[in-house]
Amino acid sequence: MTAATGMSERCRYWLSLAALAVVLPLAIVVNSWDSLSEWRRSEFRTPIAVERGTTQAYAGAQWQLTGLTRLPGATPETTLIVAEFDAAVDDPALLQAGPCAVVLTDDKGRRWLPVFLPGRTVRQGRPAAADKPRCYGLARAEKGKTITMAETFTVPEGATGLALSITIGGARPAYLVFR
Amino acid sequence: MSAVLKGLGGLALAAAVLYGMQRTTPGYGEITAPRPVAGKLGHRLEGRAFAIDIAKVQLARTVATKGAARDSNFTTSGVWVLVEGTAEARTESLTLLSAEWLGANGVRYAMSQRLSSLPGMLPGQRLEPGLPMPVLMAFEIPEGQVAGGTLLIARSAWAPLAEQARVDMAGAKPADIRSGLVLARGQGRVPWTVSAE
Repeated sequence: MTAATGMSERCRYWLSLAALAVVLPLAIVVNSWDSLSEWRRSEFRTPIAVERGTTQAYAGAQWQLTGLTRLPGATPETTLIVAEFDAAVDDPALLQAGPCAVVLTDDKGRRWLPVFLPGRTVRQGRPAAADKPRCYGLARAEKGKTITMAETFTVPEGATGLALSITIGGARPAYLVFR
Repeated sequence: MSAVLKGLGGLALAAAVLYGMQRTTPGYGEITAPRPVAGKLGHRLEGRAFAIDIAKVQLARTVATKGAARDSNFTTSGVWVLVEGTAEARTESLTLLSAEWLGANGVRYAMSQRLSSLPGMLPGQRLEPGLPMPVLMAFEIPEGQVAGGTLLIARSAWAPLAEQARVDMAGAKPADIRSGLVLARGQGRVPWTVSAE
């Protein structure tokens, strides 16, 4: 064994060891890239603020908040919020590309999900909204049609700065915020 | 000679290390185990996703229900445990679907399905941020599992890395077992009442 081959062997050994430190983390990143980007896509990241009374293009439709009604809840400390909104359909395929999710948020960052059944209070206090479909109404989207929807939330009496967020799976991470 | 010894020593060392690593590798269940948040009976337990306050625990040989679909009497070969408390979501609306009674010997008992349709039962209560809701849980457990029990509450029975409230139920003693309790429909905020027979 000559000194030259000894050197190159030692050199290769350290080079391989150093390469391991780079390649191993790289392999982990490459392996989890799909999951990471999927997770980032599913986040609510890019808000599109919509002013009261204006329409906004989003996920193949023109969206508008038509009503945000407060009704007394089952107990004195609760309030029902009935949110009514329209979507004028331009592109049904885009609109149906993913599930629709609606969330009511307040200025403290708390998030309320819609209730499953609006119940008697909504039927009496806001009969027009009680018969509107929930967000799943988009399943019947056709080009040129306007779909009216309503969602009900149970929030504390003192909640302030309420905003309605709507997101369609195919258009995430962008989402609409109605204030 | 020393080179051979060295080689053998290295081999033995490698084998020992590998064996040690094999024995101490955590299983998938341990890696993804729920994150426990400990609390006590009568104290509000604040987790990240939800808060729960277990106020009262009552034990009985039979439970009678009144004012539901029809009055019934439920016997058990063990002991009925009725747990009352208040629960609240902290950041986002949720439902707590899983409650288990962890006995002193490590056996876990899921909630009794026989009373699951009554108003106020934990899995049926939708919890909203800022709105504490009264919640009720019912278990059927052997008498020997009453003392030293722990209540485990989580969003679902199996959720990797999810939060799990662990409430020490030191207040439950076999000496407090009543002969019967009546679970009736309540008026007002709490949708049930529990009274001695």
